[in-house]
Amino acid sequence: MAAGGVHQLAQCITCHAWNADMSMVAICPNNSEVHIYKASASPEAVWERVYVLEKHEQLVTGIDWAPKSNRIVTCSHDRNSYVWSLEDGEWQPTLVILRLNRAATSVEWGPQENKFAVGSSAKTVCVCYYEEDNNWWVSKLIRKKHHSTITSVSWHPNNVLLATTSTDSKCRIFSAFIKGVDARKDGTTAFGDVKFGEELIQLDLACGWAFGVHWSPSGNSLAYVGHDSTIHFVTDVGPTPSARSISLRHLPLRDILFLSETRLVAGGFDCNPMLFASDKTGVWEFIAFLDEVKPPAEAKSDTLFAAAKGKFKWLGSELSEENAPTTTHENCITMIRSLVPFSERNSEKSIEVFSTSGLDGRIVIWDLNNSNKGWSKQWIPPVEEAKKVLERLKSCIKPEAVEEAVEKLKSSVLPQAEEAKKTLVRLKSSVIEYVEQVPQSSELHD
Amino acid sequence: MANTLRPYLTCIRNTLTAAMCLQNFPCQEVERHNKPEVEFKTCKELLLNPILICRNESEKCLIESSINSLRISIKVKQADELENILAKKFLRFLSMRAESFQVLRRKPVQGYDISFLITNFHCEEMFKHRLIDFVVAFMEGIDKEISELKLSVNTRGRLVATEFLRQFT
Repeated sequence: MAAGGVHQLAQCITCHAWNADMSMVAICPNNSEVHIYKASASPEAVWERVYVLEKHEQLVTGIDWAPKSNRIVTCSHDRNSYVWSLEDGEWQPTLVILRLNRAATSVEWGPQENKFAVGSSAKTVCVCYYEEDNNWWVSKLIRKKHHSTITSVSWHPNNVLLATTSTDSKCRIFSAFIKGVDARKDGTTAFGDVKFGEELIQLDLACGWAFGVHWSPSGNSLAYVGHDSTIHFVTDVGPTPSARSISLRHLPLRDILFLSETRLVAGGFDCNPMLFASDKTGVWEFIAFLDEVKPPAEAKSDTLFAAAKGKFKWLGSELSEENAPTTTHENCITMIRSLVPFSERNSEKSIEVFSTSGLDGRIVIWDLNNSNKGWSKQWIPPVEEAKKVLERLKSCIKPEAVEEAVEKLKSSVLPQAEEAKKTLVRLKSSVIEYVEQVPQSSELHD
Repeated sequence: MANTLRPYLTCIRNTLTAAMCLQNFPCQEVERHNKPEVEFKTCKELLLNPILICRNESEKCLIESSINSLRISIKVKQADELENILAKKFLRFLSMRAESFQVLRRKPVQGYDISFLITNFHCEEMFKHRLIDFVVAFMEGIDKEISELKLSVNTRGRLVATEFLRQFT
C-alpha cells in the first residue's frame, strides 16, 4: 500500500497529536517548541503553520490533544508540563505542579479529560488533576514501583486503570483513582475496589526495554512492544489475564495503535508500519508490512552488461551508499495516531485511517481503504483458513478409498501381531522353564 | 585476502544495523543531563551485551551499545614493527582531528586502536545506512592505507640506502 500523503514538516518529529476534527496537528520538531499546523485532507496540500507554542526549555517529549475540552498537554525534558488552552486566538499555558526532579518522558489525557498522566525518568508516574482554587494542575505521584525510566503511559477507557511501560522491561497496571475527582462508582473495576497507586499487574514478558503500551478500544486487551523485537498482547485484563508474545525477525518496534479489537498497527526502526490481526479466539498474528519497499533507482548505465551488473549488485547482501531500499519513512517511526474525527469514533467501527510521524521529519497519512491488497478488508484469520482447507481436503477423499486403505493396513498388520503373540508365548514358557530349573533357596542352604 | 575480509565486514555491517536502534534518553541519575549511557555505564539496565567480532587474533571489532549510544572499537592488523608504528601514528593523526569526523572518539577504548561513538543525535541528523557505510568503508580503507604507507617507507628506505652506498663505489 502506498502512503496517502507525505508531509515533510521539520528535520525530525518526536511526537504529534491531532485535534478533535482532525483539522489541526501539533508536532514537536525535536526541540523545545511545539508547532501547530493546519492540516488538509488532500495529499498534495502544503500544511500551514498557525501557532508556535514556546514555553519549554528543553526537548518536548509528549503531546496530547484532548478532543472534548480542546486542550493540549505537553511534557518535556526540562521536568515540566503545561496545559494549553485556546483563549482569544492564543494558546495560553497553565502551570502543572509535577514535583519531578528528572525529565518527563510521556503524557496522555484520561478519557474523561479531568486527569492526565505523565511518565518520567525519576521512575515515578504523576497523575495530574485540576485545582480550581489556585488555577493550576496538581499531581499525585506513584512512587517506588518502577525500577527505571517510564517510556509510555496509557489510560484504560474506564478512566481509572493506568498502564505503563519502562526500561526495566516490564509493563505494569496501576489504579489511578483519585477521591474527589472521580465518581465513587468508577472506583470499582475488574480488580474490585482499588486504592490510588496500587500495582495491580506486573507483566514481565519482554527481555528488552518496553515501549508503546496501548489499550484496545474496549479496554479488554492491552499490547506493548519490547526492544528485543517482540510484541506482547494481553487479553482479558483482570485477575486472570492471558498473554501472547510474537518475536519478529525485524528491527524493534516503538509504538502501536489498535485499529479495532482484532487489528493493530505497529511501527518502529524498520520505518515500515506492520499490521497485526487476531482471530476470534484471540490469537494474534503478523499479517503484512503496509509500505511498499521500492528497490533503489538503478544507476544509469551505458551498456547492457553494466545494467545487468547493477541488478546483481542490489541482489547481493551488501547494501552500499546509493542503493539502500527506500520506504516512505526514512528514519524510525516515533508515533502512530488514529485519524478518525472524535464525533465519528465508536468502539465497533475499525479505524481505517491513521498517521505516523518519524525521526525523518515526516508525517505520513495511511488509508487502509486505498489498499490494493486483499488483506485490508477480507482478511481471513489463520484458523478459519485452516478449517476451510480441511473441509476442501475432506471433500477430495472418497470413503471407499479410505476403507480400502484401512483393510490394506489391517492385512499387513495382522500377521505381524500373530507372530508377536507367538513369540510372547514362547518367551513365557522359556521363562517358566528357567524358573523351575533354578534351585529353591531353601535347597541352597542345605 | 579479500575473500576472508568480506564475511568479516558483512558481519559487522549486520550487527551495526541491529545495534543502531538508538533514541533520545534523558539521564536518570543527574537532573537535566543527557549523555551517552555507554560511556558512563551508571545504569546496568540501559546497557546491552557487548559483541566482539574477530577475524583473527590481531584484527577484531568490539560493539557496545546502550539505549542512546553505540561504541565501536577497532583493532587494526599489525603484522610487524613497522606496521605497528605506522598504524599508531596514522590513527593518532585521525584521532586528533576527531571533530571533523563527528562520530570518531578522541581516545580509543583500552586494548583497541580506534573507537567511534555514535549517539542518537547522529542518527537523527544522518541516514543510518550511510553511517554504517562510513564505518565499514573506514575499516576497509585503513588496511589499504597502512600497507600503502609501508610500501612507500620501504621504497624510500631502499632508495636512500642505494644513494648512500653509491659514494663508496
